[in-house]
Amino acid sequence: MATEVPVNEHPARDRHQIQTLILAVAILSTVLLAVFFAVTAASSLNRFGFLHFPLGFYLLAQGLLIFIVAVAFWFIRLQERIDLARSESGELG
Amino acid sequence: MSVPSRLRAPNPHLGAYYGIVTSAFVSLIVMLAMFEQLGWGRPLLAQTMMVVPLALYLVIAVGSRTLQADDFFASGRRVPPVYNGFVLAAIAVGGVGFLAYTGTVFFLGFDALAIGLGWTFGMFAAGVLFVPYLRKTGSYTLPSFLGHRFRSRSVRAAASVMQLPPTALLLVAEIKIAALIASLFLPVSFSLGVLMIAALIAAVAILGGMRSLTWTGSAQFLVGAVGLAIVVTTVSILLTNVPAPQLTYGGTFSALQNAEITAGVTPVQPGQLATALPGAAPLPVIKPFLQPFGVLGPVDFGSLFLCLALGTAALPSLLSRSGVTSSIAEQRRASAWGLLFVALFVMTAPAMAAFAKLIVFRDIALAPASSLPAWLTELGGKHLLQAGDVNGDGAIGAAELLFGRDGIALALPSAAGLPYVLTVLMATAAMAVALAASASHLFTLAASLADDLYRVLDRRQTLSRLTAAWAAIAASALAAAVFLLIADLDPLKTALLAFAFAASTFFPTLLLAIWWRRCTKWGAMAAMTTGFTVMLVEAVLGGAFGIGPAGFTTALTSLIGIVLALAAGVAVSLYFRQPSKAEDAYREEMRDPGGETIYDRARMRAAAAAAAASAAANASGQ
Repeated sequence: MATEVPVNEHPARDRHQIQTLILAVAILSTVLLAVFFAVTAASSLNRFGFLHFPLGFYLLAQGLLIFIVAVAFWFIRLQERIDLARSESGELG
Repeated sequence: MSVPSRLRAPNPHLGAYYGIVTSAFVSLIVMLAMFEQLGWGRPLLAQTMMVVPLALYLVIAVGSRTLQADDFFASGRRVPPVYNGFVLAAIAVGGVGFLAYTGTVFFLGFDALAIGLGWTFGMFAAGVLFVPYLRKTGSYTLPSFLGHRFRSRSVRAAASVMQLPPTALLLVAEIKIAALIASLFLPVSFSLGVLMIAALIAAVAILGGMRSLTWTGSAQFLVGAVGLAIVVTTVSILLTNVPAPQLTYGGTFSALQNAEITAGVTPVQPGQLATALPGAAPLPVIKPFLQPFGVLGPVDFGSLFLCLALGTAALPSLLSRSGVTSSIAEQRRASAWGLLFVALFVMTAPAMAAFAKLIVFRDIALAPASSLPAWLTELGGKHLLQAGDVNGDGAIGAAELLFGRDGIALALPSAAGLPYVLTVLMATAAMAVALAASASHLFTLAASLADDLYRVLDRRQTLSRLTAAWAAIAASALAAAVFLLIADLDPLKTALLAFAFAASTFFPTLLLAIWWRRCTKWGAMAAMTTGFTVMLVEAVLGGAFGIGPAGFTTALTSLIGIVLALAAGVAVSLYFRQPSKAEDAYREEMRDPGGETIYDRARMRAAAAAAAASAAANASGQ
């Protein structure tokens, strides 16, 4: 007996939503993990120096902020690429 | 036929206009610096430096006045991303951040970094999770978005009521900071300062709504940034010979540590200080700048970070600016620019705090009580700093130096021996950012009262849309001013409570509304109500209004509120029926990055239907 496979009526939409979700989760988790690492390891990292700052202090005062800003602009590029793929597939379909 | 304003392109001369504004402000600083050398009195210098920018803000507000609803509530949806980023950063940091955060870093050093990190991550999270979807819907307010998303007037009205505490608390905190500055540098009392500031921001908001807030806010951001940059860079050159404070203040740490040890500041144990933020009243410094987790343990640090991050991400005043740019892509860029500007300030504030601490401890601590520097008397006269030989040993130790938290940034130029004009410049910069933030909070509060609550409650809509908004702005400004004349509040703790309210009430609701298809009207209502109730109980029983100590319990409570709100939202959504087809369709369209703004299209369809009905009526009449 043949099983009827449900037909996805909106493949481009579903692909776009899954990619958007994965990107958001991945990017927020990465930044949160970086913050968690910097907070928990701050005391240990302070034994090392960077630009005359204790490394743990530097990461929380500047390093993480620079990282977050860079990731934010990178996120925009990735998300726009995902959005463009959806609009192009919409035009073709 | 006039072109709908939302289709008009941004003014191509904006860069030139704001270049002129910035150049004019720099020229004013240079002129006043020369006049100071020529013998102008300090009151005249202070009044000129503060009043000229205030007049400029009013001129910009008058120039950007409007009577069109889409201009008034969404700035015509044609604000370039960088300018929206200016205003977003000014709202996120505000006068509270400018003065109170700098002071908190001065007192707590390393431990205070949780606050700045929280703001930065919150701006980032908002740009990823919420802002593009709010832009697609085009709703003028956050409650309006929730109301449309769930096709529910009750959700919209409830969200409007629950938006009151975070927005109103931030409004009064920012007005208080601006009024404090006015009372220090202008010939007005604190009460008169409160009334003046409330009247000024109400006038700006009434004249052009979101449009005038955008263009005055951009000028205020530039004044704040220029003022801060000039002062901190000058101090950096004096102390390190390099005009890059963010990079060089690390080089002063060994001198700072020596000065702290000499003054008797010794490391503290976590938990020893009853885990509270420094208050606004003058306090001694009892924690070394670089000591990690001296006042806040890692758990308190993390909860404060998360509370501010999630509160910033869901802050109604920031999210209500999601509809002012021309597209989703532009709005994403605006969020990133706002994040960049916030991060720049957050990187600069510790430099200010470290420089101030180094100078003060180096110059005063353990100096003979009979020969203290002259600037100390001046700062003491303004209640920014107090020093006295309490134990009678002939010297001033760390415990005998009391600092006003919100006066650290203002005291830095005097302590560094810079001309008085730079002290007033710092005050003007802080005032500018406080005005931008307070006007935005006022407009967010009033626009929601008028557009979400009044239009839902008064079905006949006796007042027109703009009249209701004007009345709400005037009433909210008056109420905030009266509250400040009666109540004595700490701006930083009030702001922390506001962020906690926003985190607990709106973060879980928005997360479910945007990212979970199964979320229903009742689920959203349950999430909002649960988070709000948890924070309300904390605010009343926890004593956040001055009854008892508030501090990191507020941050921790908001995180508990978020978890409970998420659980309530999920449970109630699963218990009730599936979302309706209309809710599903709205959510799917909201998630589609292409196509028109949903709200604008609905308005155009309604206008076309009304025009067709009118034409048909005319034809049948003939």
